[in-house]
Amino acid sequence: MGSAKTAKSAKDCQVSWEDYMKAYYEKPTSFKSWSGFDLNALYTPDDRQGANYQRDIADAGQYPFTRGIHADMFRGRLWTRREVVGIGSPADTHERLKYLFECGGTGLNTIADVTYEMGLDADHPWALNEVGLTGVNITSIQDMETLTKDIPLDKVSWSLITASTAAAPTMAQYVAVAENRAYDPANLRGSIQNDPIHFRYCGFKPACPLDLSIKLGADVMEYCTRNMPKWYYTTVNMYDLREQGITAPQEVAFGFGIAMCYIDELLRRGLSIDEFAPRFTFYVSCHIDFFEEIAKIRAARRMWARLMSDKYGAKNPRSMHFRFAVHTAGCSLIPQQPLNNITRVSYQALAAVLGGVQSLHCCSYDEPICLPTEKGHLQALRTQQVLAYETGVTNVVDPLGGSYYVEALTDRIEDESLKIMKQVEAIGGMEAAIASEWLDRQFEAEAVKRQQEIDSGEKLVVGVNVFTDEQETRTPLGVQRISAKSAKDQIKQVKELKKKRNMAQLNETIKRLRDDTADGKNVVPAMVAATKAYGTTAELLGTVREVFGYPYDPMGIVESPFSR
Amino acid sequence: MKKKIKVLMTKVGLDGHDRGAKVVASLLKAAGMEVVYLGMYQTPAGIVKAAIDEDVDVIGLSYLSGEHLVFTPKIVSEMKANGLDDVLLIAGGTFPVEDIPKMEAMGIDKIFRAGSLMPTIVSYIEENVKKH
Repeated sequence: MGSAKTAKSAKDCQVSWEDYMKAYYEKPTSFKSWSGFDLNALYTPDDRQGANYQRDIADAGQYPFTRGIHADMFRGRLWTRREVVGIGSPADTHERLKYLFECGGTGLNTIADVTYEMGLDADHPWALNEVGLTGVNITSIQDMETLTKDIPLDKVSWSLITASTAAAPTMAQYVAVAENRAYDPANLRGSIQNDPIHFRYCGFKPACPLDLSIKLGADVMEYCTRNMPKWYYTTVNMYDLREQGITAPQEVAFGFGIAMCYIDELLRRGLSIDEFAPRFTFYVSCHIDFFEEIAKIRAARRMWARLMSDKYGAKNPRSMHFRFAVHTAGCSLIPQQPLNNITRVSYQALAAVLGGVQSLHCCSYDEPICLPTEKGHLQALRTQQVLAYETGVTNVVDPLGGSYYVEALTDRIEDESLKIMKQVEAIGGMEAAIASEWLDRQFEAEAVKRQQEIDSGEKLVVGVNVFTDEQETRTPLGVQRISAKSAKDQIKQVKELKKKRNMAQLNETIKRLRDDTADGKNVVPAMVAATKAYGTTAELLGTVREVFGYPYDPMGIVESPFSR
Repeated sequence: MKKKIKVLMTKVGLDGHDRGAKVVASLLKAAGMEVVYLGMYQTPAGIVKAAIDEDVDVIGLSYLSGEHLVFTPKIVSEMKANGLDDVLLIAGGTFPVEDIPKMEAMGIDKIFRAGSLMPTIVSYIEENVKKH
């Protein structure tokens, strides 16, 4: 054979045959999990001595629900294929929602832009360059009407990811639109993120003082418990915490810590655990270490069941269910060689499904580049559909249950998470950990560690610190741009609305909101009334903020337009 | 003794995604630089004023929420108006690769997208800082 020719062409393309043979015999460089656990080469029954199937694992649908909250899992119902949408104006977002629905999406899911996340109206001076860039801004009931136009609110399941800061106005806006369209709130189905505490770690601290976060979060939970029995009133956001760079056990421990802040408040208000806990849900990350993420989900299910039963005395099994949606880990995706992100997301989505997810958002491959393009969005939805319809993973409940490795890793994550929860307890509980900024310091230290692991090559990321040759100059499926016109139109509409609404009527509803807040009443009913009178997101929040002694405007510029 | 390189790290506008900016600030400090971390919710004028007050060698901007093409020209013109020609302007974060030439044309000296390694950023600053 032409060995000379081979040697020549090899030289031409700069291949060193020595390196080639090294690669042939290559061994992995690390035997640690993503969160840093040292792993054995082989797991055997010896790794789980003293294990008790009925006590610690049990069949799916049975306490402690390690294997799943339903006995038949996906045979009973597939997970909800729910892609997050938030793009430009409410009308632009509405259009993309409908597109994904037509392509086989099964749940609606909307996300806010940074102005709405900060609780600002579209006409705020800081909003000028930002409206619609990262999601949708909902300033008034008109925007919510546009967003939900022609959609049967009693039939669909809507996940209002929105902005946790503004969750109370969001819930009020959704209820107001539904009531105006003659739907009974009791028939509305879906969920709202409503986890204002976590939002201080997403860059919205001025809008989320701790006392106000607990007050507004619990008001929405209480209101929904009493009036909207089919609604999931919170999705405590472990995902956003994980995106800060923390480990899998920290994600569970910190998420549960925040969840307990709300639960304790609801109990203080006289609700019983079994009255409200069946509608408690979580938003979980699925990162790139496949088995660790599955083990994390299984551990979280067991820990939540035990927490609800042992600490809070829940009797209803539904109160013990760890219900969750997964968002595949945006921070694991990179802009370099972006098509590889499709592969990353596929593994993460598979982990979510093998973990027994209820609802799934797959990141689009362009997540680390821009808002999803239509093609990117569709591809992400198709990843879910290939998983659901082609791979056969829906046939059997918790197929990894009983694996020596997965069970040992589940135990390990539970142990580590419980240790962290004890640590939080020792410093006075989660509220104290937040108030003293202990939690901030954890996030900062962990984020630096993650970067150092990549800089040093301890963690390998294809396209970042290994196989970095291909430098793309174009985004493969194009770039999503946000129309400046959409933003300008929305700002103009808001300004016009504020000029023409009936101020006397609005003033009355704002007065009621102020009085209800001062009297310690639930603010949601007054917010619904004010929303129907065209009160806006920032006006509702600002009124409550003032009663709590905070500036009307979190950015400290706008003054309250209402007489006192 | 050689003077430490002084870097101002900041975000502009309402974008609250500050993890990247904080990590870079910490690791520039670890690499021996002096870092002024201005944080979130900054305006172009405020950033340039801080850069003058602190007499920095480098301004580092962190973008995530799609506002890079809006704010970059405002910061550059504010720098020019204040004679900050000898301050190195770098930017990092999340944006399309197509925008890199645009941002460079607007006046950013060097762009480090998400996925950049810290040693690359540190050596770029050390080799290109203008005041030294």
